[in-house]
Amino acid sequence: MPSTDYQGSSSPLTNLGRSFLPLRRDQVHSMESPIGGSPSNEAELESFQRQVADRFHDLASVPSDELLSLPWVRKLIDAFLCCQEEFRVILFNNRTPVKKPPMDRLIADYNERAVKALDVCNAIRDGIEQIRQWQKLIEIVLCALGGDNNSYQRSLGEGQFRRARKALVDLAIAMLDEKDSGQALAHRNRSFGRHNNSSSHSKDHHHRSLGHFRSLSWSVSRSWSAARQLQAIGNNLAVPRGNEVLATNGLAMPVYTMGSVLLFVMWALVAAIPCQDRGLQVHFNFPRQFPWAAPIISLHERILEESKKRDRKNACGLLREIYQMEKCSRLLGELADSVQFPLNEEKEKEVKQRVNELKQVSDAMKEDLEPLEKQVREVFHRIVRNRTEGLDSL
Amino acid sequence: MELPENPDKDNNGYESAEKIILRWDSTVSEEAREKMIFETDRHEADLYLQAVDEIQRSLSNASISNNTNAAAAAAADDQSKVNSTIQIAMARLEDEFRNILMTHSSALETDSLFDPSSSSFSTPSHHELEEDETVSNEDSSQNDLLHLELKHCASSDSSTYRSTSSIREVDLMPVEAVCDLQAIATRMISSGYLRECTQVYGSVRKSAIGLSFRKLGIEKLSIGDIQRLEWEALESKIRRWIRATKVCVRILFASEKKLCEQIFECVGTDIDDACFMETVKGPAIQLFNFAEAISISRRSPEKLFKILDLHDALMDLLPDIEAVFDSKSSDSIRVQAAEILSRLAEAARGILSEFESAILREPSRVPVPGGTIHPLTRYVMNYISLISDYKQTLIELIMSKPSTGSRYSGDQSTPDMEFAELEGKTPLALHLIWIIVVLQFNLEGKSKHYRDASLAHLFIMNVHYIVQKVKGSPELREMIGDDYLRKLTGKFRQAATSYQRALGALRERFKTFNAMLEEVHRTQATWLIPDTQLREELRISISEKLIPAYRSFLGRFRSHIESGKHPENYIKYSVEDLETVVLDFFEGYPPSHQHLRRRSQ
Repeated sequence: MPSTDYQGSSSPLTNLGRSFLPLRRDQVHSMESPIGGSPSNEAELESFQRQVADRFHDLASVPSDELLSLPWVRKLIDAFLCCQEEFRVILFNNRTPVKKPPMDRLIADYNERAVKALDVCNAIRDGIEQIRQWQKLIEIVLCALGGDNNSYQRSLGEGQFRRARKALVDLAIAMLDEKDSGQALAHRNRSFGRHNNSSSHSKDHHHRSLGHFRSLSWSVSRSWSAARQLQAIGNNLAVPRGNEVLATNGLAMPVYTMGSVLLFVMWALVAAIPCQDRGLQVHFNFPRQFPWAAPIISLHERILEESKKRDRKNACGLLREIYQMEKCSRLLGELADSVQFPLNEEKEKEVKQRVNELKQVSDAMKEDLEPLEKQVREVFHRIVRNRTEGLDSL
Repeated sequence: MELPENPDKDNNGYESAEKIILRWDSTVSEEAREKMIFETDRHEADLYLQAVDEIQRSLSNASISNNTNAAAAAAADDQSKVNSTIQIAMARLEDEFRNILMTHSSALETDSLFDPSSSSFSTPSHHELEEDETVSNEDSSQNDLLHLELKHCASSDSSTYRSTSSIREVDLMPVEAVCDLQAIATRMISSGYLRECTQVYGSVRKSAIGLSFRKLGIEKLSIGDIQRLEWEALESKIRRWIRATKVCVRILFASEKKLCEQIFECVGTDIDDACFMETVKGPAIQLFNFAEAISISRRSPEKLFKILDLHDALMDLLPDIEAVFDSKSSDSIRVQAAEILSRLAEAARGILSEFESAILREPSRVPVPGGTIHPLTRYVMNYISLISDYKQTLIELIMSKPSTGSRYSGDQSTPDMEFAELEGKTPLALHLIWIIVVLQFNLEGKSKHYRDASLAHLFIMNVHYIVQKVKGSPELREMIGDDYLRKLTGKFRQAATSYQRALGALRERFKTFNAMLEEVHRTQATWLIPDTQLREELRISISEKLIPAYRSFLGRFRSHIESGKHPENYIKYSVEDLETVVLDFFEGYPPSHQHLRRRSQ
């Protein structure tokens, strides 16, 4: 079939063929008489693909210092919510074909995937709470070293530094991956004179208490794994075959798209926010024919790259603010360890500068954490609601 | 503030205070590391606290006197020294605070609540247990709390009652400990160490709550875990969760709140609210996650009643939840509880609809031996009885009419239901009637696969069963109403009439068969086929057709004939009799030998 037959044709089908159907041109020809597909349906599907693509292009076009920042993550979730809402509208507008096989099975599959994302939402909520705990430690540091504006004029003495250092060590321990925390804990106990010898009761209690602090921050069992959950979400996520597309009047495509978006967004959230067993090795395989594939793949690559960088390899979350928190607090800690008393003016200036940096990070986070938590909860609600609606109509 | 009259005296006071603080600096002194002040000695503890107070006083004094540059510089030095001392004191107090907390942070005493021999919880049947919990919620919880009070009344000067009468706070630790904690907290906070204080408090108390949770059998299950569990396993978890949550909200969390109020009494409600939330927010979310997971699980009919139990329990707890979590910072918890409640209600509605569709679609074609009730009928009627037990809740929850025939009129696959004569009935009652209508419709459909008498027989037995069940339950009868009952009875009579007709026709068939058999026997027995082999083959050929057919005929209809009068008039021959009859064929017997030998005689 000469390809010129299909160029410049006004049939919406050829647009479909070019934009996102993974079919060869000669297969497009056999699709000439669509099975009951109305022009509005095709326009709708095309528009959906375009909107998803646009949103992810937007998200992908940020410079690297904005990638995975709190505002960016919030934008990501927003994008997800919008895509999901449009998806819901498409399903609603095509109620009848949606109930017939094989579409009913495809929808059921998608809903199962979405339910798996609910546990990820809950884990992210826990992670946000963890970040809040770190922030509280930072506030101690700021309070001690005059970053909270109350005692800015006061000159910094030994007592304040000791207080700040204690909080900084606690922060460093809290931000460590679990496996490294045992050693750090022992070190901290030595430097800050915790009771290692008094009654074994309180010693056990003590260690248990601090260890507990970590396990109690997860509301799921020790065996839950974010990595496994992501694998499950991506399980069997396959590009619809030509006959499936035909049989569902093209509706198999948005289902696949939504599933892919769901997988990517959940993966990105797990990458950014601390949660239990944060593995990022999920296999992504989005065909380039889809207009949204390129930006998502690019984001995926960039985030993976970030995770492999030397100073981020062991991070418990790739959120940019976490990185800043860790860096600032580490620098401040090193500075605090090295000062001699009384402080000379230069040192004092340096300290105040570091404190300021830390304060900026902390302030930025304070604003965004709560809205982020609300957004994640909104994702939870929408997934549940869409699933219920889906069940009812079936 | 005036400068003290005797600076030396004051300095001495400061110096000795400083000495005490430095003596207990655990980064420096081995001895300080090994002992805890508040465990050692009341007197030591008091001395220490006084020392801290002294240092704090001099801090506020020192901030005033800097008229000249030199004085200012000196004052700055002093202040730095004082700050340093304060920090040492605060670090020490933090340790002491943590230690006291940990010494007194064990799980809640809950033995009396879960004593298996206690009357509220030991019931054999599933249904009775549900009844206990749904009907006497208030009562059983009062009983439990009563037990608890008896156990703990010794040291309580404390049971303050909140707005709901089912909340009971208990003392989570002895009064002395609370006083010590309060003394420490006040000083830490006035020195600007609020954050350290709340952090230590939150982390230790949270782990104590964790211990209580384990004791109460509260698990950490993900939504995925819950989806994978069998429903029976989930039912027992739900039961346990309901019991545990009542204790958590009404006793555990309420007591934690009171403890916060006591320890942070002198420093304002914002702080004790913050500490309380620090302590319970995580555990509360963990607790409610379970109910949330149940509320979004896949819907199927058998889940209805446990979901209603869960709904009722949560409904019951809502005022207590609002009383305990009454601050702005605990919004999210109240909101989550309300969301779960509404999802449970939705789930209940959805399950009822699902149930109704399931009856309509139920496809089994297995013929039921005559005289027995179809399993579907039994199941549905039992289900309806349970529904009427949960009438109180369901009447509130079910708000819309069933989606019925009027929408699908003309559709042969669903029955119609006229609502005109059903004015004034609650939506729940309409649903019940609809369920019976759908059940009958399904049974009629099944009957079409039976022929003749079996058809009518199946139908009347089942309708009769339905009528009996409705008449036997006052609540059902009241909801379904006598009008509809009359309709049902009418159907029963109709079916009975057509059964009689069918039975009559069946009897005729038997009589006809018998007559024909006798006639054939009379004839064929006199015929002779000399060739033995041919004779045998012919007989076998006839048997092969006749015997199985008669066996099947008998099998299908024997019970109908036998349930009527004089069955022996219609069923004269057994299968063996027939075999014997065929043996006579082609023997060439003389006409005088023609009586049918019946082995069954």
